[in-house]
Amino acid sequence: MSDSVDRLYLEERRLVRRYGPVKSVLLNSLFIFVIFYVSWWIFQDPRGLMRMYTPYVGYMWCRWLLVVMIWVAYLFDFWPFKKEWLYKANPIKKGIIFTIIVFFTFFVFLKVFFEFIMGELAISYFSPRRLAELGITDFYALEYAAQAILMFAAIASWIGPSWVVASENSPWERLKQPVKGFSVFVLTFLMSFIVYFVFFHSQMGILFDPWQKYTSITPPWWHNFADTVHGNFNIAWIMCCTVMVWVYETIWERYPFNLIRTDWMRRTAAFIGIIAMAFCIAFFFYYLQELIWGEHIRGDRRLYAPDWRWLHVGEIAIFWLVPVLFLKFYCNNGVNQFSKPVNILLRTMITIVAAVILYYVYYQISHFLLGTQKGFSHPQQFPMIPMIWFINVMLINYWFMDGWPGWKLDGKREEEKEHLDDFGNKNALLGMLIGVIIGAIIYFIVVFLAPTVGNMLTIFK
Amino acid sequence: MTNEARRDFIKGGAAGIGLGALASMGIFSYSPARALFMPDEVRKMKDFGAIKSVEVTNISETSWFDNSALMGDIKGAGGLLVDQYLFNWPPFGNGKGLAKGSYKEGMEKIKHLLPDKVDEAWEVTKALSVNPDNAGGYAALIEIERLNGEKKKYLLDCGWSYKWMHECFKREGIDKMLSSGEIDTLILSHEHFDHFWGLPVVLKYKPDIKIIIHEGFYPEGRQYIKDSGHKGELVVFKKGRNEIEPGVCTFCYDCPIISRVFGEQSIFVNVQDKGLVSITGCCHQGIITFSDSAYKELKYDNDQMYGIYGGLHISPFDDWDPKYDDLVIGLKKWDYQVMACNHCTGLLTVQKFAREGYPIVRGTARFRTKTTDYLGNGDKVKFG
Repeated sequence: MSDSVDRLYLEERRLVRRYGPVKSVLLNSLFIFVIFYVSWWIFQDPRGLMRMYTPYVGYMWCRWLLVVMIWVAYLFDFWPFKKEWLYKANPIKKGIIFTIIVFFTFFVFLKVFFEFIMGELAISYFSPRRLAELGITDFYALEYAAQAILMFAAIASWIGPSWVVASENSPWERLKQPVKGFSVFVLTFLMSFIVYFVFFHSQMGILFDPWQKYTSITPPWWHNFADTVHGNFNIAWIMCCTVMVWVYETIWERYPFNLIRTDWMRRTAAFIGIIAMAFCIAFFFYYLQELIWGEHIRGDRRLYAPDWRWLHVGEIAIFWLVPVLFLKFYCNNGVNQFSKPVNILLRTMITIVAAVILYYVYYQISHFLLGTQKGFSHPQQFPMIPMIWFINVMLINYWFMDGWPGWKLDGKREEEKEHLDDFGNKNALLGMLIGVIIGAIIYFIVVFLAPTVGNMLTIFK
Repeated sequence: MTNEARRDFIKGGAAGIGLGALASMGIFSYSPARALFMPDEVRKMKDFGAIKSVEVTNISETSWFDNSALMGDIKGAGGLLVDQYLFNWPPFGNGKGLAKGSYKEGMEKIKHLLPDKVDEAWEVTKALSVNPDNAGGYAALIEIERLNGEKKKYLLDCGWSYKWMHECFKREGIDKMLSSGEIDTLILSHEHFDHFWGLPVVLKYKPDIKIIIHEGFYPEGRQYIKDSGHKGELVVFKKGRNEIEPGVCTFCYDCPIISRVFGEQSIFVNVQDKGLVSITGCCHQGIITFSDSAYKELKYDNDQMYGIYGGLHISPFDDWDPKYDDLVIGLKKWDYQVMACNHCTGLLTVQKFAREGYPIVRGTARFRTKTTDYLGNGDKVKFG
């Protein structure tokens, strides 16, 4: 066993720009957009070649590709590939190899684990074949199974990286690969399983008539609180957890929990803190919808439906994640010249503004550009799919291809001593106290203005 | 204050702003107190008149005859978001197979036959289309009795298959009503194939019929109205309430719908001494949204949601989703007295409604309607 903690390849590599900052960003933006659009057309677009956006089949694939990418880069640190090879190999070759591995891994996982082991030997709804045998039309047999499998991905895409980022691979942080990777994989997979059964199995249990009351809790235990029996309530906060993990890892630089010196306290606080912050933003995104569109109506469809509103909470969160990752990957987090809290506050504000613009632009052009339906609340489409597809392309570019063509690999970075910007004095605490009051005031100003601003930003006339 | 002290103060302030904002989001946003900032809802109580009674004849609620065949086509073409004009369903078959259709190519084959030779046009398109015998259609005859005793007839939607709709129109005497001018207005609920593509059969008997559509119709849909031989007035309604006559109005909704359709309009009728009756094609906007629109905007007798006729688009493909259970639970509070729902409401939904004690109107299961559980083809329901 080693005494030191191995840095991830993504943490230790040094990327340098090939060109000026503007040219590099533009070049990569163009590159990822072209790859996104071509791959969208080939795999997902309802007008394109494979038309996997049925919607659930395409949704499942894009969520799972994200999860497998996280496994490859964060849990297994690119094992079994050696770091020497990672530093030497051509970025395009690496991109192609790892992308194929990701696709193939999920294909095997889908067929062997979900459809065969789970679907044929444990729970019917994981197997399209079994559902069809039981009388569900082929189309919905596939959609239902895909829905269940993607819900598992939603959880795994939060817990997997959260254990690496927040819990710092504890208690296996000093192990070598692949033992460390498998240990974290097994733990996070088990945790995802438990979360799945507590938060989603009931949703599948009431998908069939009569409600499967002997195998799941019916109606689901959350329905009075969420005003819906639908599992989208859990999609909302879990998606917010996923987004908060990456916000915490990227533009927040693991702040503020990295201020805690004691390992177990820091890790526990970070893991739970991410969940707490996720609930905060989930409730806020839900409230924003109520302020702009009016109070939800239980049982209604579309804009007023609580199930759709909860889903849209997750969608709004993903709209935020795109600029967050872009700022980190291609702009070195954008703002670095002030103290850490000020940098983080400014980055957060920049990414929120960018997310609002992205949201507006998406709904303006996606119908024409991506073949999606016009409008907000189509019950069979999910803006998360193109957004996550875009994120997947960004991750392939940044994680697997070292930011080619705008960036190139330039050896390893020196391990930097982290400057924590501690709060150890009266001035900082006084500032914090006043800041809390200002933060609350800002929140209420946003709440007060939301209906007016929402009406001004009419997207569909 | 020294520079360092100022820096510490600002640093603390920045962290505090984040903490304060996040804490407020978590504590206030989903608390009962959040209602303080919600927009106030004031009922407008718009008096739009009343009628004595309305009778709806179900010309056809059977949009397709084999659900698995339709879903097979949808699956094969790429799912629920694929443009309906690309499926290669009749009348736009071009002979190239599933998902390789096009409005233009399909229309070229039959345009010269429309609207007078619809039977011949159907034979041509049948040979070029996917699953043509699975096509049925949705259409309803709405007969209004005004307060002064006058009668007025409206046609809601015009189905899909020329052959099937022709049979249904003849069976219910719609062809004669159109020819004689008894029916002079066609209200199209939305652009979907099973509600709209049978248009030439209507125009064969009355090419100058007034057609009312929602503004969300795509260019292909508007072109189809022309190519089908329409010579009359085309009225395009916008989002919100639109008057038809005293006691009758439609509401238009900008809702996205499967197979690249946008927008739907549904009808409200205020029946004297009874209350409000909603008449829908598919009600993709949701029956509760529709009811809520009336509640917020209209004045109706007894302040009572009285009746429903038509599709509620809940489980049209024998599919299910937990959100539909929310609807089955949530519709109770609207207290509808007569529910003659059919078509895309879905058999499973109607059965669940019946189990929950909703006042479902049963039918006679004639003319290829599969069940007596709901109002079937050729059945009538009268409100008032």
